[in-house]
Amino acid sequence: MGAFILRRLALGFLAMFVALSGSFFFFSAKFLPLSESPILHNYWVWLRGIPSGQSLNDGLLGGHLVSIVGSAFGRTMLLLALTLVIVVVIAIPVGCLAAAMRGSVVDYVLRIATYIAWAVPVFVVAILFQEGFGRIAGGWGTGWFPSIGWAGQCPNGQGIDPHTFQCPAAGHGFTHVAQVIYHLMLPALALALGFIGLNARYLRNSVVDALDAPYVTVARAKGLPERVVVMRHALRNAFVAFVPAIVSDIGVLFGGALAVDYIFQLGGLGTLFIGLLQLNADGNTPVDTYELQLMLLFAACVMLTASMIGEILLALFDPRTRLD
Amino acid sequence: MISGFILVAIFIVGALGPHFVSPALVHLTDEWRNHPPTITDWNLFGTDAIGENLLVRTLYGLHTSEITALAATVMATLIGVALGSIAGYRGGWLDVAIMRVTDLLGVFPLIVVFLAVYTYFTPVTAWKATFALTIFLWIPVARVVRAEISSIREREFVQAALSLGASDRRVFLRHLLPTASGTIIIAATALLAQVFVLEATLDFFRLGVSTATQNTLGNLIGEGQANVFALGQGWWSWGFPAGVLLVILVCTNLVGDGIAEAIRPPRQR
Repeated sequence: MGAFILRRLALGFLAMFVALSGSFFFFSAKFLPLSESPILHNYWVWLRGIPSGQSLNDGLLGGHLVSIVGSAFGRTMLLLALTLVIVVVIAIPVGCLAAAMRGSVVDYVLRIATYIAWAVPVFVVAILFQEGFGRIAGGWGTGWFPSIGWAGQCPNGQGIDPHTFQCPAAGHGFTHVAQVIYHLMLPALALALGFIGLNARYLRNSVVDALDAPYVTVARAKGLPERVVVMRHALRNAFVAFVPAIVSDIGVLFGGALAVDYIFQLGGLGTLFIGLLQLNADGNTPVDTYELQLMLLFAACVMLTASMIGEILLALFDPRTRLD
Repeated sequence: MISGFILVAIFIVGALGPHFVSPALVHLTDEWRNHPPTITDWNLFGTDAIGENLLVRTLYGLHTSEITALAATVMATLIGVALGSIAGYRGGWLDVAIMRVTDLLGVFPLIVVFLAVYTYFTPVTAWKATFALTIFLWIPVARVVRAEISSIREREFVQAALSLGASDRRVFLRHLLPTASGTIIIAATALLAQVFVLEATLDFFRLGVSTATQNTLGNLIGEGQANVFALGQGWWSWGFPAGVLLVILVCTNLVGDGIAEAIRPPRQR
């Protein structure tokens, strides 16, 4: 088991290094200020600076990279964590309900709803929620949640409280945590909707398959109430395939998190990354390539870690896969 | 299935629509600015901030998006089938090389890759977008085709044909490809849905095709959303293009699932 993990990690790091080098060539050939010098020279300077941490810390345009990208990364991770919690909390009851009442109208409606939920693109859901549940001046929606920005930050003057004409303060301690969750709620719900659809449908199919298995018939013949049959026996076996499936979808989830982050201007990796790329739109503005590389490094690490965890979970839950 | 017909209908409308649109439908006058949708006067989707009829813009957008998506899917499928079947049939170092390339793509989320690639194609037009999408999206198709071909290759009828002395080309065209065609079609429809979403997402972030060059569904949604904040435009400016995109995606997914259901061998009970 240990050797298996180590080997996969080594391969993953190698792939990450090659991909990051490739993206560096890409950016340094196209973006100012690096595109003024030869590519290989830039690459060598960047490589030289990695062990000392200089390439990862000092931006080309004079910023302190790790703190900027690190805090953005933290915000994106919070968003992903809240999204995963929401997905698990809602998808499991919905999937079980649909499976327990299979064939009925409830099942049919839930199946259609989850199908559409997965088909809608993330950014459409995000703007739908932003206008429907967010506070927009003169908007048509219910103003239950803030429509843009992080706790205490109002980007471009949007999100200002129409009564006090000030940005709502972030608060300290517990209030701060509550404010952060309040601002994260809408983005997390938007991101979670698609995955609730996917996972509820997947769980429903798994539980339906499990409910038709012989051991469930035995459990029912023993006289166990239906609720216990579903919860203790069918669900436990359906969980085996469900949990790794969530973790291995992390690529799509991460892409969606970038999109939602940009739409709600949360100041996370999405805002940073897309903002930097939009800077290059005219081709004449210098863009900090080292910052881009650091962001890509974070993103690749997340993907690698998630796929590792997914494989470990799969091996843990299902002994049949421990072939290596 | 019904969704197949809806999809075909939408594609036909998208392909032919712009040719039937007459300039008289576009009124750029003050009274028509930011007008909510009405049934009269072909104003079904409302107008935008300068008075342009959104039905017209959405039709053009559908046309462009559709061409990009179909072209990218067809080209990516062709390249993917070609490379994937070579890898699956021959095996050896070619197989390993192609699989290493596919592993490299799994390092970053796809959207990040495309966001970066698009910066090379500024100013982006629909055909550049098609090209950019094709160079990366053949890889999932190649993976699927390789797995399928290498499993079909071991079956008895292929071994029988080979032992009878059939040439590689004959075995491939008459035995392998028709057997794998079901899986290829399923992969292609899944790819079509993915291309629509990817392309729309990139246009939405204003890093893809811009509305100055061509309308696409994605940048109509993006412009509509930005203008809600900036110019106080109504929900219809992004709502209807988003609705069209949603219908296309749901129908594509349904068609793909329908084909998969029809091809799948009947379950043992």
